[in-house]
Amino acid sequence: MITTDSLTDYVRKALPDAKVSVTDRTGTMDHFSIRVVSDLFKGKNLLDRHRLIYNALDEPMKDGRIHALEIKAETTDGG
Amino acid sequence: MADPLEAEIQQEIKKHKILIYGKGTKALPMCGFTRETMQFFDQYGYPYEVIDVLPNPAKREALTKMTNWPTLPKVFINGQFYGDTDILEPMEKKGELEPLLKETFKNS
Repeated sequence: MITTDSLTDYVRKALPDAKVSVTDRTGTMDHFSIRVVSDLFKGKNLLDRHRLIYNALDEPMKDGRIHALEIKAETTDGG
Repeated sequence: MADPLEAEIQQEIKKHKILIYGKGTKALPMCGFTRETMQFFDQYGYPYEVIDVLPNPAKREALTKMTNWPTLPKVFINGQFYGDTDILEPMEKKGELEPLLKETFKNS
């Protein structure tokens, strides 16, 4: 279990400008869809954008607070 | 000599044009995301293989290191790593996936 705020904080540690929207997909607070919008993604392909997010969330993923994660990673202009 | 697990993986990703490393088998997928990835490729009708890495944690770890990608399933197309449906779906929307699959199966 992890709260939306805590998830957002983790992401913001790596992507300070990120707008993060979190959806709890199963109501158990451990299966999430997250959408991260940040201009730090500019010039990065999708795989590297997702790697950035996985690295930012490494701790809660390793200790099981996050069980499943669906990611959308875009720049502010939707690219 | 390359790590035997890595060599085994290299061989598998060359052998299967579409390869899904996941939890469970094609007949019995054990995880929603693995099943979802299979259904994703079912739309296209190209053959794909599923390799279960649950019984082999060392191989699972080797895959994670090789791809710098912490989760399963892991998809390889034509020997290249493409993450999972979080990557494939945006590629599909941008019209990048169909040409890639056509190219991959061109001479088979």
